[in-house]
Amino acid sequence: MPEFAVPLLAGAVTLATPLVFAAVGEIIMEKSGVLNIALEGTMLVAALAAAFVTYFTASPAAGLAAGVAAAVLFGLLFALFAVGIQADQIVTGTAMNIFALGLTGVLYRSLFGFSGTRLAVAGFQPWPLPFLKDIPVIGTVFFSQNVLVYAALVLTLLVAAALKRTRTGLYLQAAGENPQGAEVAGISVYRLRLLAIMTGSALCGLGGVFLVLVEGNTFVEGMTAGRGFIALAIVILARWQPVRALVVALVFGLASALQFQAQAIGIDVPYQLFLALPYVLTILFAMLVGRANVPAALAKPYIKE
Amino acid sequence: MLKNRLIHFITVAVVFLLSCTGAEKHSGFKVALLSPGPISDAGWNASAWEGLQRIKSELNAHVSQVETRVPAEFEASFREYGRMGYDLVFGHGFEFQDAAATVAQDFPETVFITTSGNTVRKNVAPMVFQLEQATYLAGALAALMSKTGRIGGVGGIKIPPVQSTFAAFEAGARAVRPDIKVSFVYIGNWENVGAARQAALALIDQGCDLLIHNADAAAAGVFQAAAERNIYVFGTNKDQNTIEPEHVLASCVSDIPGAFVTMAKIVRDKKFAAKIYRLGMRDGIVSLVINPRLADRIPASARERLVSLEQRILSGALNVPGLP
Repeated sequence: MPEFAVPLLAGAVTLATPLVFAAVGEIIMEKSGVLNIALEGTMLVAALAAAFVTYFTASPAAGLAAGVAAAVLFGLLFALFAVGIQADQIVTGTAMNIFALGLTGVLYRSLFGFSGTRLAVAGFQPWPLPFLKDIPVIGTVFFSQNVLVYAALVLTLLVAAALKRTRTGLYLQAAGENPQGAEVAGISVYRLRLLAIMTGSALCGLGGVFLVLVEGNTFVEGMTAGRGFIALAIVILARWQPVRALVVALVFGLASALQFQAQAIGIDVPYQLFLALPYVLTILFAMLVGRANVPAALAKPYIKE
Repeated sequence: MLKNRLIHFITVAVVFLLSCTGAEKHSGFKVALLSPGPISDAGWNASAWEGLQRIKSELNAHVSQVETRVPAEFEASFREYGRMGYDLVFGHGFEFQDAAATVAQDFPETVFITTSGNTVRKNVAPMVFQLEQATYLAGALAALMSKTGRIGGVGGIKIPPVQSTFAAFEAGARAVRPDIKVSFVYIGNWENVGAARQAALALIDQGCDLLIHNADAAAAGVFQAAAERNIYVFGTNKDQNTIEPEHVLASCVSDIPGAFVTMAKIVRDKKFAAKIYRLGMRDGIVSLVINPRLADRIPASARERLVSLEQRILSGALNVPGLP
């Protein structure tokens, strides 16, 4: 294995992790019939909350908790419109994204903006797992990372299993395929969708926390830089399966890491091509595969009779 | 169409709200700023905001600012300020020049200044910072300090003003060490901190032990990577020496606030001429500021070399390549 491969793969894992969180969170929501395109906004809100709380407590763990809590609150606001008053989910999601960008900007500026100094917070340090870290290549790539990378791996498997094998998971899918039928069978579609939005937003929030506590150790306005939309694309490419979403995210992560490495070596790659890659792939894929696997009631507000 | 209208509507609303905030008495001289990113970035946009605030206090002007991201917004906002009778509108970046040229012909009473660029019209002019003079010196310092013989940089979007600062960095390095290897990585935006960090790590993995950046807010990722791998980096545009005090060796500084005030005075005094306003080391606008905390890590021989290069730039004997 060439010398540059290990840092390359480790970089791919880091770049993929926030995408995995957001995509798996979105899968939970979409499986229940809710199309929440406000992933970008959810991540930003979580990122800012994590940055503030970590700054004032000096504890990344407290920052993580705050980030997830903020994401869940943001999800509840989305649910108020999307589930509570059956508003159009795309319009609600778009508004929430714009709202989050403005809100985080105003809050950040009001506390740190004009001082000219940068908000610097303590982040999560790498935490190599005993024994596993000594496996050649894989040990460095996957098991010498930080706690949030492991969490992404474990949570993806948990969500995949829960959707397939638990009663709640199956009910959730029923709410997304045939809400009327599910309601007849005694399932509360509102409750399930609310639960899906809260869990999905929490996961997505972890993606935002990752940006602050692993990648930057600071907050920057708009630092999500389109990751929420790439995560939406991943969900489509992964056909609503968490483990596949993990794989697709890793492929995207690898593509970015590869182009950084290529530029660093001195190969002049048109980086714009790589930025467009997720979207181009998604459009091609959607054209080829059509609507297979799409939850039947996706983005359709459920109105109880 | 709908999107344009929406953007237009939002711009009008924002401009209106912003103008409502400055209700206090002013001289009647009205200055506006279009920034391409958040003014909290502690870099490119923050310095423009600071410049605007100084215009407000020093010239007793009425000021307004709006954040614009896409060309449709540039034009709509320029037009809005023109319509509201602003005397001077800054478009803070190379990317604003086309929009400024288009809008300017409809508002002959308003002067449009873009920060960097080369488009000149009757009431449009760029002010160009010769930051390349400072990045040239940074490149020389990097080459003199590098143990591996490899240095590099992380850029935001590949646009001429970024490429030219990097070209000067490379030229400065080669001037003192012809066999130095220099590579640059672009991430494609100005906010993606995570991408900037990975780009910096990729360069460090290739053996680079000094890095420069020109990536605005995303540079946070470059500083982070430098701290993780314990290497030196250079700040750009603003004095960023305190961001990572143990790792930012020096900053390539443009006194953007000072330049904003200078331009505003020129326009207020009706001395505006349609030409490229070039501002550099000799005007006291551009400099390489060494981090005082790390000054003793620079060997005396390197320091002497640096001073002599600086003298030659100031005297005009040395023309930094790629200078706008």
